[in-house]
Amino acid sequence: MRQRQPYWILGGVLLVSAACAAQEPDFAGVQKILRQNCLACHQGKAPSGSFDVSKLRTEDSLTSEARRWNRVVARVRNGEMPPKNVKALTDADHEHLTTWIESTLRHRACADGITPAPGPIRRLNRNEYASTVRDLLNVHFNAARDLPADGAGGEGFDNAAETLFLSPIHAEKYLEAAKQALDYGVRDPRSRAAFITQGPSDKLTPEQAAEQVVSGFLPRAFRRPVTKGEVDRYLGLFRTALARGESYDGALLFAMQGVMVSPNFLFRLPFPNPSAQPRLAESYEMASRLSYFLWGSMPDQALFDLAAAGKLQDPVMLKQQVGRMLRDVKARDFAERFVEQWLGTRELGRDIKPDAQLFPAYYDEEVQSAIRYEPILFFQEILAENLPLLNLIDSNFTILTNKLARHYEIKVDKLSQQPKRADLPENSHRGGLTGMAAVLAVSSYPRRTSPVLRGKWILDSLLGTPPPPPPPNVPELKTENDGGPARTLREHLELHRANPVCAGCHSRIDPLGFSLENYDVVGRWRTQDAGKPVDTRGQLPDGPTFEGPAGLKSVLMTRKDLFVRNLTTKLLGYALGRGLGVEDSCAVDAIVAKLKENEYRSHILIEEIILSVPFRYQPGTQAGLAVEGSATVTASGGQKP
Amino acid sequence: MKEAWFPISRRRLLRGAGAALGLPWLEAMQARAAALPSKPPVRMAALYMPNGVHPEMWTPEGEGRDFKLSPTLEPLAPLKDDLFLATHLWNQGSRGGEGHYVKISGFLTCTTVTKTLGVDLNCNGISMDQVAAQRLGRHTPLPSLELGIHPVTTGVDKNVGYTRVYGSHIAWAGPTNPLAREINPRLVFERLFRAQGPQADTAKQDALLLDRVLDGARDLRGQLGSTDQRRLDEYLSVVRSLEQRLERAGKPEEIDWKPRAAWKPDVRPTDTPKDHAEHVRLMMDMIALAFETDTTRIATFMFSNEVSNQNFAFLPGVSEAHHSLSHHENNPDKMRQYQLINRWHIEQYAYLLNKLKSIREDGVPVLDNSMILFGSGLRDGNKHDPHNLPLVLAGKGGGRIATGQHRVYSPDTPLANLYVSMLDAFGAPVERFADSTGPLPGALA
Repeated sequence: MRQRQPYWILGGVLLVSAACAAQEPDFAGVQKILRQNCLACHQGKAPSGSFDVSKLRTEDSLTSEARRWNRVVARVRNGEMPPKNVKALTDADHEHLTTWIESTLRHRACADGITPAPGPIRRLNRNEYASTVRDLLNVHFNAARDLPADGAGGEGFDNAAETLFLSPIHAEKYLEAAKQALDYGVRDPRSRAAFITQGPSDKLTPEQAAEQVVSGFLPRAFRRPVTKGEVDRYLGLFRTALARGESYDGALLFAMQGVMVSPNFLFRLPFPNPSAQPRLAESYEMASRLSYFLWGSMPDQALFDLAAAGKLQDPVMLKQQVGRMLRDVKARDFAERFVEQWLGTRELGRDIKPDAQLFPAYYDEEVQSAIRYEPILFFQEILAENLPLLNLIDSNFTILTNKLARHYEIKVDKLSQQPKRADLPENSHRGGLTGMAAVLAVSSYPRRTSPVLRGKWILDSLLGTPPPPPPPNVPELKTENDGGPARTLREHLELHRANPVCAGCHSRIDPLGFSLENYDVVGRWRTQDAGKPVDTRGQLPDGPTFEGPAGLKSVLMTRKDLFVRNLTTKLLGYALGRGLGVEDSCAVDAIVAKLKENEYRSHILIEEIILSVPFRYQPGTQAGLAVEGSATVTASGGQKP
Repeated sequence: MKEAWFPISRRRLLRGAGAALGLPWLEAMQARAAALPSKPPVRMAALYMPNGVHPEMWTPEGEGRDFKLSPTLEPLAPLKDDLFLATHLWNQGSRGGEGHYVKISGFLTCTTVTKTLGVDLNCNGISMDQVAAQRLGRHTPLPSLELGIHPVTTGVDKNVGYTRVYGSHIAWAGPTNPLAREINPRLVFERLFRAQGPQADTAKQDALLLDRVLDGARDLRGQLGSTDQRRLDEYLSVVRSLEQRLERAGKPEEIDWKPRAAWKPDVRPTDTPKDHAEHVRLMMDMIALAFETDTTRIATFMFSNEVSNQNFAFLPGVSEAHHSLSHHENNPDKMRQYQLINRWHIEQYAYLLNKLKSIREDGVPVLDNSMILFGSGLRDGNKHDPHNLPLVLAGKGGGRIATGQHRVYSPDTPLANLYVSMLDAFGAPVERFADSTGPLPGALA
């Protein structure tokens, strides 16, 4: 069956290879495919869907009509074109067309320099809202507790602007949450001092005092300088409330509640760039881009001060801030939100729950919590200590509590109920994400392990090469009661791979999953399953045989470029809060190259993302202009030195 | 879930949240008295089950009034006279598209959702419950109620190219407006309560606040590009509709019927149901409560998100997860378990129906004034096909629905035709809905 892969794996290693090896694609070949399959409808006075393919006849069109070319490839890859009622593309033509367009567009895009994409207005998501209210009011109160969860878009994160829609229920909840958070904060003297910074006195009328308070509160809430008109609007609310007999505090809370349901607070709004050319993002905007990336919250005073001084466009200063921000306790929120969505472990305890009867060990409070936090704190440790990212594939340490160490049957001294970094014994099979219970559980069924789910998880989450879904109507695989003795899961799946319809993908999925069969649903080590010894050997179609977790890690190490590229793509998508396009892949290429030169150090990844064109720049009024000097490849095709 | 290192303690959270429940509901309830029509209104709910059904255990035997319920539908036997069963309806719009996403998000819209990881999120229509809500929602404190069990599933499904947002929504207020669902029974209760009886002066103050904020937001609009304006318009519209609702509170002339049931503060449910079954039951209770108190007349509920792998080992004889069983590969043991899960869902549906039957208004069961739809967006989970969808409609819809029968239509009759008939019975008739070709013959009495 035809593969539908993200554009960016096509240039590199094809773990799930294309069904048909087409001959080397070229411009003439692509033109022939377009002529034979598209032009009948898409040309002339009224081209179908107002989409004229005849504008794509010249090589120049690859630059001047890049968007149109992009649309062709998107529609074809989605299987939307050609439509169902006309002749389908052959698999070879499909592959030829999409591969050629993607690689050519990408190459041209990168050679011209990188074009920043518009940063759409974006609602704070549920987590960002909670953290922002916490920091704005200095309250330990989860204001987002009653808000609905947000879905994900783009690279798979719930901070993607495109899927942060609003329902009527949000309006009710925001109104209520602001009221509750303010009421809660005003009763705690430490919190109150953070937002009610002035009171009426002999020298100050209530109105004058309130003006000072609102003038201090509003720029923090809106994360930018405000106008006098804006201050007046909320002072108006204060006045109204005071007039109807509210106390000074009560009237201020009413005004602040208004601030906290304003779109200026609830949304991240870009500063307009009136010039034609792209430019560096404005300083206050940069402060928010940094803080929502690395903390998932509003900027702190230090960032506001740097923004006011115009220092957040200086690369040296930005690198300094990365170090500071990653050491801050708020970086935990970043690690949690990124890792849980990247690895899918957020679903643990939601849709995916190990069976309580079969795995009571998982439901010990400390064990469950330690399992959930292990990958998060592990990632945070790698960031805080600037360790190589390849630790995520294999490492000589992990994050344990007393009970998790026992769960893993590892002897480590001086552990407690609180998770902490612990060195693993020599030759331990743990280490790296694939030995972590959270990952192993989220890629299992509630009551049994599944080499298919685990193999798919590795291809999707770690390597970024998700296999296509199984075709419908998969026939029954003959199992028990067909004459022979009962089969093991492995024998069962080998039948699976004997079926040519299934083999294409399962010969790549299953061996990866089988190597982890030494781990049960909740990540405990086992040498037997249902009374039979587990067999963890496997072989990928294009590689040597390997066995067990150690074997898997050596296979993953041979594909570390794919892994690092996937991680970079995910993290850039998270940092930008949107799905990546061809233009962004130029930035990804450049970051991956830099990581390779620098032992894959984690700070390089964060710094390079922050210094990248998509993160730092905003487009001007003229669409499609690249940032000068940002080309990552030369016109002749080589990487820039 | 307990979180040992969460910086905010659970107790602290509980102390902070959901305090203001001392509002007097009586005045508001009484304000709604006065000379109103005496005929109770029609209510409508749609209950969505993910992952399809065992195809051979679903369809009733026989046609017309003389039919025998299938093994899966058997829990509905005592309610046989309240059922309208339709065989061979299909959802044309949800044909194609790999996986489940097209099936679920188009279940109530009868359209084809755009394939996207997010950027072009679009259902290309509106769901039938929202057609009703936009026409008649103003008569109740809440226009409609959207409920579920699990939060939106994490991530995007790159295997098939859809954002999982699609798998978690059936109610769409417009092409790009999926409606977020409430999943916590206690929060549903509090929301119903607040909607029922807002203190008049609080409502007035809130409305004033929103009015000022809206003024500011309108100024902002001019500075934005067109995509951003659309997003801001979404904000303006939800805030504006809340403002209008708050202004309306305490104005009895907008209310066209006085509920016979008094608000029962003692039924306030828990935050943390002990298991899936209790969670589902509590949500059913909330639908019944919303209907009998006339807080809303329209509800949608999702038993789970699509592709759910909910563990059903709590059912005797079941040892696997929902979605994996639905890909049964015609293995008899998997199909047996799959059917038990289908049947469990029907039992929960029967629970709601029985509950609505036991509540009476003017001597008539609320069920007689309701239309409660149960269904899934695909038939056989192993085939992912939207032909001959598993559907049950229950309740007489104020005497408009011709219950007590099983109708077998010609293959591939549009599901949208059923929706046309339901909207008619609800009092929000439409000429056409999506791919409808007319009302469903025989559905209306």
